[in-house]
Amino acid sequence: MDWETVIGLEVHVQLATRSKMFCACDTTFGDAPNSHVCPVCLGLPGALPVPNAEAIRLAVRGALALGCTIQERSIFARKNYFYPDLPKGYQISQFDRPLATGGRITIESPERGLLDVTIERLHVEEDAGKSLHDRIPGKTAVDLNRAGVPLAEIVGGPDLRSPAEARAYLITLRQLLVYAGVSECSMEKGSLRVDANISIRRLGQGTLGTKTEIKNLNSFANVERALEAERGRQQELLERGATVEQVTLLFNAATGQVRPMRSKEGSHDYRYFPDPDLPPLVLTPEWIEAVRRELPELPAAKRARLVAAYGLSAYDASVLTSERVIADYFERVVEAGADPKSAANWILGEAMTGYNELGRFAVPPARLAALIGLVRNAVVSHQAAKKVYVDMASTGGEARAVAERLGLLQVRDEGALARWVDEVVAAHPREVERYRAGETKLLGFLTGQVMKASQGKADPKGVQPVLLRRLEGK
Amino acid sequence: MSVSPRDVQHVARLAELAVDDADLPALTAQMDRIVSFVAQLSELGDLDGVASYLAGPERTPLREDVVRPAELARTPAAIAPEFVDGFFVVPKIGAMEES
Amino acid sequence: MSVRAAALETGGRLAEADRKGLNAVLAWSPEALDREAARVDALPAKGLLHGIPVALKDNIVTTEQPSTCGSRILEGYVSPFNATVVDRLRAAGAMVACKSNLDEFAMGSSTEHSAYGRVRHPMDPERVPGGSSGGSAALVASGVVPMALGSETGGSVRQPASFCGVVGVKPTYGRVSRYGLVAFGSSLDCISTFGRTVAEAERLLAVISGPDPRDATTVERPPLEPVPAPASLAGVTIGLPREYFPDDLDPGVRAACRRAIDRMKELGAAIVEVALPHSRYAVPTYYIIAPAEAAANLARFDGARYGARKSVDGDVRALYRATRGQGFGAEVRRRILVGTYVLSAGYHDAYYNRAQAARMRIVEDFTGAFASGVDLLFTPTCPTPAFKAGEKTSDPVAMYLADIFVCPASLAGVPAMSLPIGRSEGLPVGGQLIAPYFQEARMLSVAGTLERHLDAAAEVR
Repeated sequence: MDWETVIGLEVHVQLATRSKMFCACDTTFGDAPNSHVCPVCLGLPGALPVPNAEAIRLAVRGALALGCTIQERSIFARKNYFYPDLPKGYQISQFDRPLATGGRITIESPERGLLDVTIERLHVEEDAGKSLHDRIPGKTAVDLNRAGVPLAEIVGGPDLRSPAEARAYLITLRQLLVYAGVSECSMEKGSLRVDANISIRRLGQGTLGTKTEIKNLNSFANVERALEAERGRQQELLERGATVEQVTLLFNAATGQVRPMRSKEGSHDYRYFPDPDLPPLVLTPEWIEAVRRELPELPAAKRARLVAAYGLSAYDASVLTSERVIADYFERVVEAGADPKSAANWILGEAMTGYNELGRFAVPPARLAALIGLVRNAVVSHQAAKKVYVDMASTGGEARAVAERLGLLQVRDEGALARWVDEVVAAHPREVERYRAGETKLLGFLTGQVMKASQGKADPKGVQPVLLRRLEGK
Repeated sequence: MSVSPRDVQHVARLAELAVDDADLPALTAQMDRIVSFVAQLSELGDLDGVASYLAGPERTPLREDVVRPAELARTPAAIAPEFVDGFFVVPKIGAMEES
Repeated sequence: MSVRAAALETGGRLAEADRKGLNAVLAWSPEALDREAARVDALPAKGLLHGIPVALKDNIVTTEQPSTCGSRILEGYVSPFNATVVDRLRAAGAMVACKSNLDEFAMGSSTEHSAYGRVRHPMDPERVPGGSSGGSAALVASGVVPMALGSETGGSVRQPASFCGVVGVKPTYGRVSRYGLVAFGSSLDCISTFGRTVAEAERLLAVISGPDPRDATTVERPPLEPVPAPASLAGVTIGLPREYFPDDLDPGVRAACRRAIDRMKELGAAIVEVALPHSRYAVPTYYIIAPAEAAANLARFDGARYGARKSVDGDVRALYRATRGQGFGAEVRRRILVGTYVLSAGYHDAYYNRAQAARMRIVEDFTGAFASGVDLLFTPTCPTPAFKAGEKTSDPVAMYLADIFVCPASLAGVPAMSLPIGRSEGLPVGGQLIAPYFQEARMLSVAGTLERHLDAAAEVR
């Protein structure tokens, strides 16, 4: 019980460029194998790399969103190792002079509340290709479409103290990078990958324990599961007096277990040195400032603004800002004239269900604002509006037209209201009697019956005066 | 000797070069000769404050993000020793890598 | 003469060179020459090299001939793309005549380290033509082609130019695109030119120089503009670095240099002595940096995607080790091992980082000398004339020291050239001019003047 867990994550995200990091090949995912290759990414003799300006811009943008200091001069380096999907026998990366250092993001820890996590560095590098071990029996098949795709590697500090914090960190990191338009950050498509370093120590102990690294983590949930499994394994080892070995582990999602991946032989001497094919990457302060200016409003600032400007609760603001698309949608609905609190309720309720299924909002902002207006002006009831919304989402119709077509406009005509009131009074003589005997709380019940009789069409505000007159006038 | 046969075997593994046991003594001697020769740079004394020389322009040019793959006069299939169903094919990765 | 006739004659000379057993050529064919001629004829205008056959060192890739780099590991490999210099040669109307033999992957100083056999010196088959661009040098020296491309990493054009009695010019690093030059030591590699005369080597350099968007290390400078050789050298200050005239310098080489220096003085040049104290560390510095870069550059030759694969029963590591162990020759293997060693954990600081700093010291020597008012430096190109085959193959370090005077300019990235300045016991002797960055035109014009006033075929004592 007196163990402390120390976790640091290394995250690779694919920078959202059209062409590769060092050549003009397409970065599109999922095409025929080896269809996006050229002399550079095939590592042909004589080919040379030229860096992609947009990859640098996106990496700088991401680094700024993570609060990093951008280095005006950084150096590309070769990381040497042999692997079938690494065409040149080295990966072009950055080593002792990375693009950005010293950032910080604030996360919401489930255990410790708001928490600052340091970002040690962010650097750019090229991806490797893909090795398929099960495609041809006894052989490894290699697809180099992904070789050379631009990546940013983000190294977080050893500031996380639980698997749940690791997950919270990832959620916040992804949110920031998606906001900043740096990366799609999709674990399914491989555009976000996580390696986790974990060690444990006695609470209060100053030095870090021996860490292990877990690779092959394919979802945030699995990051948490894998870290829990590894924490348990390390604790069990240490508690029975054994030691933790510094190894790289693979997580098996099916069994929930981690197991060692590589033998140590030769695998950790990458012999980094500056890539002589690439002069230093030099960025001017003016250029860096220009990238900073084009950064969109980031989640924390947006959250604070939504609370201040629209009087939303912290919770609502936080859910609305969980994705930039949702926040943008909210603001457009408000701009189109909707009451902010109603807009928030609608988006967090009805609209989110559809968004989660479709990945987009089916009803255009102005039309949702119009529907909210109809409810506010009692043209349709809140109940009826939900039906109208569902119809609008599938047919693409306009709020009032849909409400009319569905016969859901609220009825305020006194004659019509009186007919439903009469019906209810006739059907519930005992309740009417008790009301008249002073049991006035039955008014709510009777109003409800009228609404029911009208199939929700009656305007509740119109019903009461008519009902009262009927109950008290006779 | 500053270079041992074990050193040679170690770097040969890093460099993925097969070295015959029969060649090892001669190769070790040659490497030792070369390494001892280049070690005369120690005569230069303390070089800690000296910057590394980087050849070429002061700063790298950057390329516009446009998809315009260079044409290949020969396809991957035509240059590859083994190519099946669109894939380069190599013997399986050994057990020491990934199980 | 029509271009086709020129192509035919070139074919005749190539066939003759084959018969003589020069072994300077790895690939040529009458059909390919004919296609080149047709290509020139189809050009809308006559270029600077109209109809001139040019030999390419076999580490410069073309789509129409194999590019083997003199290695078994690339036996039969035909590149899917052309080097930038090939495009530029063709646009200027040149014909790619043949691919020339070289030390494997340009690693050597004698062209004895080719998997396809050693190249003979055109004047004495027992001797080496120098290297690693020995094939190109021998072809120009024997009149098979008037011009050729070679490549330099540590003097591989100047040194064979000196041995063979032709002109060899290494431009400023970054002046010529390396795209399509199979990399050896990327921070040092320069495609360089050979000509029978200064003007020819200069013309070839003018055609291939200029920035290339495919090579991030090319410099934004317009192509070289040749300037005419002046009648006198008045106003030119030539520096003689004392470290390049050691006591044990070959007497023939010393005499030829003395004559050339006297001639420059007579032509009006001011001659001053200068010091380049760190040049003595150039060869050891070079033999750390170049192998380190080479070890990484040659990692791509693994038998997985192209080239000659050794079939094995085992896993992919076994394939790598067999393909690379058998595909590379002894000198290349040695350099890969040394390069891996100097970068490996525990040695990186002592060797690689130290060499990078030493390189800066060597650069500072040059910039200091030029800042002191010296326009050009003059030195012998090599300590001796062409040596005998087999003389240095048993001791790699002895071979490396053949480049002692050419290595420093390679490390500094400054332009340098060798021109014939006389003969010693019948063998050519070369003199080296070294210029500040981008001062190729100045260097070549002074060389042109000296060339005009020097009988390079004369025995000097």
